[in-house]
Amino acid sequence: MSSQMTKITIITRREKFEELRVALLEIGVQGMTLTEVEGCGVQHGLELQIRGVKKQVHLLPKIKLEIVVSTVPVEAVIKAAKDVLRTGKIGDGKIFVSEIKEVIRVRTGERNEEALTNNGE
Amino acid sequence: MSEPLNRVTIITRREKTEELRQALVELGVNGITVTMVEGCGVQHAVVRYFRGVKAEMRLLPKVMFEMVISDIPVESVVKVARDVLYTGNIGDGKIFVEEELAVYKVRTDEEGKNAL
Repeated sequence: MSSQMTKITIITRREKFEELRVALLEIGVQGMTLTEVEGCGVQHGLELQIRGVKKQVHLLPKIKLEIVVSTVPVEAVIKAAKDVLRTGKIGDGKIFVSEIKEVIRVRTGERNEEALTNNGE
Repeated sequence: MSEPLNRVTIITRREKTEELRQALVELGVNGITVTMVEGCGVQHAVVRYFRGVKAEMRLLPKVMFEMVISDIPVESVVKVARDVLYTGNIGDGKIFVEEELAVYKVRTDEEGKNAL
């Protein structure tokens, strides 16, 4: 199978998940993995003031959404994610693209593109 | 895009989280994702005795650091991580390096190195 498979990892605000999930399903993404993570970007965290007490928070709560696509164009996923996630404020997140060498569906043993699509089931 | 983008994944002891974070920030790493994970290494399990009862822990609590870097050489991240994490005991962890094809910053629409 020569089809190329790509993993797209989106790291963004936790409250955006539902909107992002719907947007990705609309463009035909089947399957995603969500992890609650902590992280920091260029500002290395922020200073919060809780009841007058300053507190340095280094790692902020974020979500990491991982998707592997083959038939759905990567560009479409990136565009959909950008449209949903952009607020213009710091903390909108990042999108990472990397190559996947092989995918195997455990239940059926299908590989690659077939393992990522759901044909008439 | 010609500049290299490398993803470095570090899996190590949870108690090292803060020390490692500080060391990476000092090195100039912009952006780290931290996940609490469970895992096992070469020994597959640790046997401990609680009040005389044998308990086998198959998956141990670990922390996973992920970062994508471009300007900073992978070697210097590996060196910093090793300096912080090395204890010589089993469970110091592992460092994985992969290639990343593209990076986009959502807020500003920047791509590649500039997104980092």
